[in-house]
Amino acid sequence: MKKRYLVFFILLFVNQIFSQEIFLEKDGYVSFFSHSLVEDIKADNNQVLSIVDTKTGEISIQLLMRSFLFKKALMQQHFNESYVESHKYPKAIFKGYILNLKELNSENSETVIKGILAVHGNDKEISVRAKVEITDGHINISGDFMVEVATFDIKIPSVVRNNIAKIIKVTFNLQHAPYN
Amino acid sequence: MNNKNIKILIGVIIIISICLMYVLNLYNKPHLDIVKTEADIVVNVQNLLNEYKNDENFANSKYVDQVIQIKGEISEITIENGNSIITLKDSTTTSSVMCHMLPEENLNVLKLKKEGEITIKGICTGYLLDVIMVRCILVQN
Repeated sequence: MKKRYLVFFILLFVNQIFSQEIFLEKDGYVSFFSHSLVEDIKADNNQVLSIVDTKTGEISIQLLMRSFLFKKALMQQHFNESYVESHKYPKAIFKGYILNLKELNSENSETVIKGILAVHGNDKEISVRAKVEITDGHINISGDFMVEVATFDIKIPSVVRNNIAKIIKVTFNLQHAPYN
Repeated sequence: MNNKNIKILIGVIIIISICLMYVLNLYNKPHLDIVKTEADIVVNVQNLLNEYKNDENFANSKYVDQVIQIKGEISEITIENGNSIITLKDSTTTSSVMCHMLPEENLNVLKLKKEGEITIKGICTGYLLDVIMVRCILVQN
């Protein structure tokens, strides 16, 4: 009898090891949008890297600032050279946890992702409402949040102060597939 | 006297309009035309990946924001939001070069086959797990 239990537990353990835990996304989408009376500015990044560990609920997201593409070349140049200083801080990094990941299902996909967002050499703790859909082996995470430009010590020259919003909307859509 | 004032006024208006035209021109400056731009650096997949593996910062200072022409073997072609991504791989390393193609190239990308050798020109934006290239076009051999 004891032996049977032992075999059962060993099988369970082996199953745990081989079941998929790491999910990866290499071409995720993140965009930001600034609305002001003068103009609307939008930039898209389709090269976002994101890794989810379903065992711990950990999520790690990285993107290159230079991968943000703007409609106007001059805006993209100013963004990289003067505002976020991409030559000094080429990446934006988020490290955090998806709360209650194990309890999420198709009816209940709303949750909160909490962690540290590092942009322009500044770390800020953020907590973001997100939709986490787990469907046939894929994890899709989407949502949006507002972020204040000043918290990351990004200086906007007074000439264009009216063209750029103080609070910017960030939208994300990440579709993770099992990593093997 | 009156005549002189009018002349000054016309002069000022001309100067202002020239300034305005210059500013507008700058504001609407188009993106770099990859097709017409000569590549700054020509490199193959293996060398590019090795340089990034050895020293990411140094490789960044050399390649980022430059027009790069890269030759390699296609390991994967994917379509994301209507835009195609060609992954170039080197057999000696696990990372690869991900080339995000301009939408104009969609039709030409459809003709490509896996494991074929191609040359791509685009702008390097840096390195995550792979080297990332944006605004890429195919270069005819």
